[in-house]
Amino acid sequence: MSWKQTKDAPFFVGYLNAVPKPLAVFALVFSLCFAGGMGLAALALSSTQNDPGNGGFQWGNRFEQAGLLELRPYPVFRVPGDGENAARTYMVSGQGKNGAFGPAEANAGTPVTLRGVPVNRGELTMIQVGNVEATEDGVGNFTPSEAVPLGRWKLAGEICDGKCYAGAMRPGQGLAHKACADLCITGGIPPVFVSTGPVEGRNFFLMADKDGNLLGDEIRDLLALYIELEGEVERLDDLLVFKADLSTARVLR
Amino acid sequence: MSVQYTPVLWNRNKIIYDAVLLIAIALYLYVYIRVAPGFEDVTKPIDGAVLRMRAFGSCAFLMLTMILCIGPLARLDRRFLPLLYNRRHFGVMTAGIAAVHANYVLGWYFNFSPTDRYVALLSSNTSYGQILGFPFEALGIGALLILFVLAATSHDFWLSFLGAPLWKALHMSIYFAYAAVVLHVALGALQGPGDPIITSVVTASVVLVCGLHFATGRMEAARERGEATARASLQEAGWVIAGEVDEIDEDCAKVVTLAEEERVAIFKYDGKLSAITNACAHQNGPLGEGKVLWGCITCPWHGYQYNLADGRAPEPFTEKISTYRLKLIGSTVLLDPKALPPGTHVEPVILGEGA
Repeated sequence: MSWKQTKDAPFFVGYLNAVPKPLAVFALVFSLCFAGGMGLAALALSSTQNDPGNGGFQWGNRFEQAGLLELRPYPVFRVPGDGENAARTYMVSGQGKNGAFGPAEANAGTPVTLRGVPVNRGELTMIQVGNVEATEDGVGNFTPSEAVPLGRWKLAGEICDGKCYAGAMRPGQGLAHKACADLCITGGIPPVFVSTGPVEGRNFFLMADKDGNLLGDEIRDLLALYIELEGEVERLDDLLVFKADLSTARVLR
Repeated sequence: MSVQYTPVLWNRNKIIYDAVLLIAIALYLYVYIRVAPGFEDVTKPIDGAVLRMRAFGSCAFLMLTMILCIGPLARLDRRFLPLLYNRRHFGVMTAGIAAVHANYVLGWYFNFSPTDRYVALLSSNTSYGQILGFPFEALGIGALLILFVLAATSHDFWLSFLGAPLWKALHMSIYFAYAAVVLHVALGALQGPGDPIITSVVTASVVLVCGLHFATGRMEAARERGEATARASLQEAGWVIAGEVDEIDEDCAKVVTLAEEERVAIFKYDGKLSAITNACAHQNGPLGEGKVLWGCITCPWHGYQYNLADGRAPEPFTEKISTYRLKLIGSTVLLDPKALPPGTHVEPVILGEGA
């Protein structure tokens, strides 16, 4: 249709209720196409979203065990083994986007009973601490094992916050989640390196700096990116710790 | 048209327009949030808050895309003009949908922290020096602020208060908002694991908006070339040849382009000719593409009307536009390119009286 107005062309004036029939039919067809198109777009966009994984809060499986809280350098909970189960080391966090440094520092070296909610994704379990009480039950003589060095490794993957990645948020990783991960790690949630290749069958690692200390602001620009990092890996019971040398960091994509 | 400001001057067409829009939005959100998850191939469901923020965010993006398509579509095909008539409601609804998206983001990703959510929004990712990992939230905030300003100033009160040129310039910032939204999506949602559907939808949207604007630009350029005779025929006497009387349909106009993109609409009606500026005093709508209804020029965009002889809106309205002098030699229409002050009476040329 030309821009040039003609005598016979239908003319729409919004405030007149009488709309020329050809325009009314056109508007009706367009409206149906528009609404239908929106519905189809919603179906296509929503039904093809990526799988956020199987992580999530285990609300029906509350955690209550006795053990020791340690800082490695982030708070972890060491649980002694028994006849059936080997000793375990759990990462712990507080409620929301808060770490568990408070209870870990207050109870360092003291046997405690820790109650909380596990957040679990595969073999990664983060305990959201609910309550910590001093105890003597079964852990009076418990001496946690020392870390076992597994050598220097070059790993490719992503730095996530351990709680969201474990399933506190689905999805809980990727660049769209970067700001949230930053807020979580700043709040004291342990950072986790999620590797594309396994070390001793594990593809996630509690992170520390190359000297085993807390990571600082230097990881903020690396968060949620696909990067390559070198560092020492050590095993703490079933938990692997990656002492990352951030000077070796290289963005892969 | 109105002589007093009311929040919304409702009429049947606006109600139908808004109803269709609300139905489309409701359908989109319902399908996205309620229906489509049943077809997802996921181990565990995506968080409800994330699902809703994605639903509202993508809805706002598609609405903004549609808004930007309406202008060029209406230029390319007049049957789309009814979409233009109430576009401001489309814009206001888009700002509202985008605000809900932002609220879900604030209440989810930036919540549950001792840091205030607004502080966290601005401070938790400050990697402004890199492309991957860039704080794409800032782009979304910028776009949302523009949408808010445009929604708040969409009323005719602001058009009158600011004046058409400033108001129009302000509302052209919708293009900055769209660019910011596209980058917001490109640096955020599109950086996740490969998702060909959302990538295709965003790409197609951008191509559609750019393609339609390009096609409209080409059409306008061709139109300018077609009207070059008027510019080329400037004569010493100060008149330009505007064309032949027969080129103009009854109750319609021929648009003549003068130098510096000034356009004049020459209307034929009741055996007479009158010339006025092509730009409507309301939103610069193309009056020359309108028609004469009840003895008045009627703008094709919002129906603003003007008397043919003096360019004044019929009482009690107060809008005025420039008029031009015409002369008829035989069947050739001559136009004095000097615009007369808005509202100046010019005696119409009577057809059949040409020398």
